[in-house]
Amino acid sequence: MADLAELKEMIEAALPGADVEVVDEGGGDHLRAIVSSERFEGLSRIDQHRLVRAAVKDRFEDGSIHALSVQTSTP
Amino acid sequence: MPADPELKAKVEELIAENPVLLFMKGTPDAPRCGFSMRVVQVLQALDVQYGAIDVLPALQPLREVTTELSDWQTFPQLYVKGELVGGCDIIEEMLDSGELAELLGVEPPEAEVPEAERILPGGSQTSPPMQLG
Repeated sequence: MADLAELKEMIEAALPGADVEVVDEGGGDHLRAIVSSERFEGLSRIDQHRLVRAAVKDRFEDGSIHALSVQTSTP
Repeated sequence: MPADPELKAKVEELIAENPVLLFMKGTPDAPRCGFSMRVVQVLQALDVQYGAIDVLPALQPLREVTTELSDWQTFPQLYVKGELVGGCDIIEEMLDSGELAELLGVEPPEAEVPEAERILPGGSQTSPPMQLG
């Protein structure tokens, strides 16, 4: 079971100033992260997603997240 | 775990040879995962030619390969001109925004991509269009 508040903090720590929302899409391990950050400026979508996934990599590895949909945008 | 070097070389070769290449669960005719099916539908809507690799017979080894090549672990994965473009989320977003049609050099589809009407039964599976050595 993932801790949504912790995930939000992990993403915010990796992307200072980002606007982050993490929601449970079912079962506590299928999540959606909605992230808006200036860091995304000029990056391809895949690189934007990589940044978000890298921030919560440890929670994938320990199995607390099974699937994470990512939605990124620039402010 | 490090990727199998032989498999990695094979995957690099396929990515280089196929301008549009989809790594998916199942085959375009019989997708075995809803996300893979959605990417197939996007490619069909855009009417592009693409190669497809069924990852299921070698899921974990291929995951290790794509982690090393593209820093990406989940399937489907769509590669265009040698680069990973994204999985289902990104591909659908890029379809909606017109970026995907532009990247692929095709006209954007006139109609919306049809919603999945049914999941294909998982019974018999035709052989994948390409074999990994």
